[in-house]
Amino acid sequence: MSSEPTSVTTPLTSAEARLRGVSQEVPPVAAGKRRVSAATVGRQIVLAVFLIYCLLPATWIVTAMTKDNGQIFSTFGLWFAYPFHFLENLSGLVTYQDGIFVRWFGNSLLYAASISIGSTMISALGGYAFSKYDFPAKQFLFNFILGTIMVPSTALVLPLFLMLNKIGLVNNMLGVILPSLVNPFGLYLMKVFWDSSLPNELIEASRLEGASELKIFWRIGMPLMQTGLVTVALLAFVGAWNNFFLPLIVLSEQKLYPLTLGLNVWNSVSSGAGGKPVFNLIAIGSLVSVLPLLIAFVALGKYWRGGLTAGATKG
Amino acid sequence: MRRYRKTAFLFLTPFLAVFIAFYLAPVGYALYLSLFIRKRIGVGPPKEVFGGLANYIRAVQDTDFLNGLKNMFVFGVVQVPVMLGLAILLALLLQQSRGFFMKICRTAFFMPYGIPTAIGALVWGYLYSANLSPFNQILQAFHQGKIDFLSPAVVLFSIANIVTWTWTGYNMITLFAALQNIPSDLYEAARVDGAKTWDIVRRIQIPLLLPTLQILFIFSVIGTSQLFTEAFVLRPLGYLADNITPNLYLYLTAARDANYGYAGALAILLALLIFAISGPFLRRIASR
Repeated sequence: MSSEPTSVTTPLTSAEARLRGVSQEVPPVAAGKRRVSAATVGRQIVLAVFLIYCLLPATWIVTAMTKDNGQIFSTFGLWFAYPFHFLENLSGLVTYQDGIFVRWFGNSLLYAASISIGSTMISALGGYAFSKYDFPAKQFLFNFILGTIMVPSTALVLPLFLMLNKIGLVNNMLGVILPSLVNPFGLYLMKVFWDSSLPNELIEASRLEGASELKIFWRIGMPLMQTGLVTVALLAFVGAWNNFFLPLIVLSEQKLYPLTLGLNVWNSVSSGAGGKPVFNLIAIGSLVSVLPLLIAFVALGKYWRGGLTAGATKG
Repeated sequence: MRRYRKTAFLFLTPFLAVFIAFYLAPVGYALYLSLFIRKRIGVGPPKEVFGGLANYIRAVQDTDFLNGLKNMFVFGVVQVPVMLGLAILLALLLQQSRGFFMKICRTAFFMPYGIPTAIGALVWGYLYSANLSPFNQILQAFHQGKIDFLSPAVVLFSIANIVTWTWTGYNMITLFAALQNIPSDLYEAARVDGAKTWDIVRRIQIPLLLPTLQILFIFSVIGTSQLFTEAFVLRPLGYLADNITPNLYLYLTAARDANYGYAGALAILLALLIFAISGPFLRRIASR
């Protein structure tokens, strides 16, 4: 085998080829290629098996949403059945129980948007303080806040419920939104992004020109933080959209529920004795409740990847 | 710098305000509540009376709670390594692949992370359910018996499967990103020295992935300690013990039995346990 490793991946430019006197049409290591393809097949089989595994639940959703309830029980769960009931299910979804699903969807949007925007702003301000200023006990405070990520949510939410009960925020949208504004991981990410996005020299120069601290933060700093802001906001949005435990504890009225809780109510009723089963509506509702996140992930792909990398390598 | 102390504090105020109000205060309140026990004095409803450490003493002798903890440990020892091992394998395979199929895989593997836990658990619940499971439909087509995925002996594995399904892709993408950060001249140098693919994996990629793996490990351990939604969602579909995870036990103690003092003590014990397990790892990462 040739001892020129780079020639496998980088084809020679025509100038180089002429200099070295080799023809470009001849692949550098033709014999090596067949060996690689055996490994490639094995690799692709492993990837394909895991791909099928990942898509199993999606397959169930997509097939079940075209069936009526009887078909869901009587036909194979991972394939379609005739006749189709997709449009029926879609209209059922928005009309069942006076269209409560639409309300749940709106609630989820409201919770996720307000939590995402609010917690990102709060984290941006706090992260700026940790990144750009010195104050007593700074390192201790930062480590302490990060350490609280480890407190189990149940440990926090149950006492939180009793507290909210005292101040009258139980069964109130604010009872879900306000506690979710605390985002220690967002604060950490924001500090990391401030460290790398806004050079200290720029702050010093702006101070010399007489800019106030708030103006430096808002007018000079924030425009440089676009990536960081979108990343933290996106992660917070996903977290809030997926939240289950806090609303489960805080909310008692179904019309305040987010999607996750609402679909779970339908499931409990469908699975319980005497309840009208609506598995077809649950299936199509699941798809609808997943769509906004999938769209956000595809549209903002580079941001969540950036967030994960920052979380993983800068630890 | 001294003159900016006040400004720094102003920037921090919004975060500290919500942090104290909705994070520290509840923990403090839980501590306070955990010191009270319920007692029936004479006739009438039971009263909350000061009990000192009685709740904690009860907790460490509560076999239901201890069995829940045992489930959590088994879960952590079996599920977390399987998931992280799978994530490493897939990240390495993806890193060696090119083209459209690889891009499909990358997106599809990560997709479960974007699906709300409650929804994912719900759909897996149907794949498990006695009446609906397509796996059992396949088994029956071949005249085999049914598997009851939600029976007490199997249900912990069924939950582990949901968690693995949800989080393997997330871990894989993070490892994949870390792999991309390895400078390419390292690979080239290794190839020049005659290293085979496996040598590169073992000597270069795995060692350089270790810092990322440590963080993912801690996140996974914390995640294991917080297991709740999957178990809660599966409950209406089959028989799940109250203490299948410590968090479910805690929730039922508070929400169903309304024993807030005891729930508070359980919560604090659980938090301390997690700190004891993941604290040393976190300190090692912080010192880097």
